[in-house]
Amino acid sequence: MKQESEWGPKLVSFLCRWCSYAGADLAGTSRKKYPANIRIIKVPCSGRVDPLFILKALRLGFDGVLVSGCHPGECHYQTGNYRARRRIAITKKFLEHVGIEPQRIQASWVSASEGGKFADVVAEVTEELKEIGPNQLFSEERQGDGTKATE
Amino acid sequence: MEQRLRNEAKALLEQGKVDWIIGFEPGSLKFTTTPVITKDKNDVDRLVINPFIVNNLANFLTEVTGRVGIVAKGCDSRSIVSLIQDNKVVREDVIILGVPCPGIIDLSKVERLAGKDRDELDDISREGDKIIIKVGADKKEFAITEALFDNCLACELPTPQEYDILLGEPSSPVVNKPAAQAKIEKLKQMTPEQRWEFWKNELSQCIRCYACRNVCPACYCQRCFVEETEPQWILPTPRWQDNLIFQIVRNIHVAGRCTDCGECERACPVNIPLRSLTKEMYDIVGELFSFKAGMDKDAPPLMTHYEQEEAEDFFR
Repeated sequence: MKQESEWGPKLVSFLCRWCSYAGADLAGTSRKKYPANIRIIKVPCSGRVDPLFILKALRLGFDGVLVSGCHPGECHYQTGNYRARRRIAITKKFLEHVGIEPQRIQASWVSASEGGKFADVVAEVTEELKEIGPNQLFSEERQGDGTKATE
Repeated sequence: MEQRLRNEAKALLEQGKVDWIIGFEPGSLKFTTTPVITKDKNDVDRLVINPFIVNNLANFLTEVTGRVGIVAKGCDSRSIVSLIQDNKVVREDVIILGVPCPGIIDLSKVERLAGKDRDELDDISREGDKIIIKVGADKKEFAITEALFDNCLACELPTPQEYDILLGEPSSPVVNKPAAQAKIEKLKQMTPEQRWEFWKNELSQCIRCYACRNVCPACYCQRCFVEETEPQWILPTPRWQDNLIFQIVRNIHVAGRCTDCGECERACPVNIPLRSLTKEMYDIVGELFSFKAGMDKDAPPLMTHYEQEEAEDFFR
């Protein structure tokens, strides 16, 4: 049987290969500690992230989604992160209207040299997700005790 | 107005200025109209303009080749402009026959007002801001705001902004914002959990016929994500989870191109209040980026454009 204290959020992240992915790498090589709740998917640019990815992740039972890319003005492809910003902004607002907690959709700018920032972001996001609890949005047993959603 | 449309359409076809005319003809059911797409100049005598021309004909523009003369209400003209912005349609290839729209009558609202099926009604007519429903010798009068579609009540620009020929005097909007927003306001009063439950219940009825997608002029992708199999984003079986993802993602994909024409909600065979989703996205886009779809054919589409500083607040 699972203990309540054992539950930790599962976080899926889409990291830009030019910055945040290297940032995550740097966090590792500089031995920064951050929660192991994160699963990383490398994408060519934060602009690659279709809001569909976010919905699919939530459908699969992930408790949160983090999209991370280069700081504004530093995109390898000049404009990818600006477009991602618009897209994620409307996604977050719209999902709130449908009834999804906005905390489940997270975004950050992390450059390749910001290993420390990456560790901080993961820690902060994990804390926020712990507060709102497990994702039962797409679970048939939403009214249940809440442990079935991710299994 | 109707006669002028027929004359103009005939002239356009005869002079070879257009290959196609897209308009409305009387439908097979009482009071309804149905789209007509024709190359034949004898067909133009069937063209009509009345308060029942519901469809957004811009949808057909991406399906025909050649030059097209198209009948467009205010919202339709914005859909056309949106297609021009997206390079789906060349401005020079369309001749927009603009109809100053007084608002379209929602037959199901009329049925509710009259308490009778549409087949039992003899006549529905409009005089100023009144709607008159006749059944035999019986005559009932209602305010027009009670009989128009919700999206018509929210419409601020019923006269096309972009047109080649305007078929009448510009009409003034019949705005009733509270009535138009009633369903959405009710949703906003709910808690997020209640909203999710609401949409879960509504989308449980969805049979995934994709009518909402197929009537939408903004949904012009050759291949939709719902039909992709590698990866298979959602299952083709109509389960509420997948139905909801389909609706959410569809709305995100058409953000900045949805002109609040209300076709999706009208097309829905199980009466899911889809406009409560589309209008919310329309408002979000307006609020965040002061963007209104289809207002300026030279402006870049919403999702290909950006400002240096905007929507920053939630980024860590």
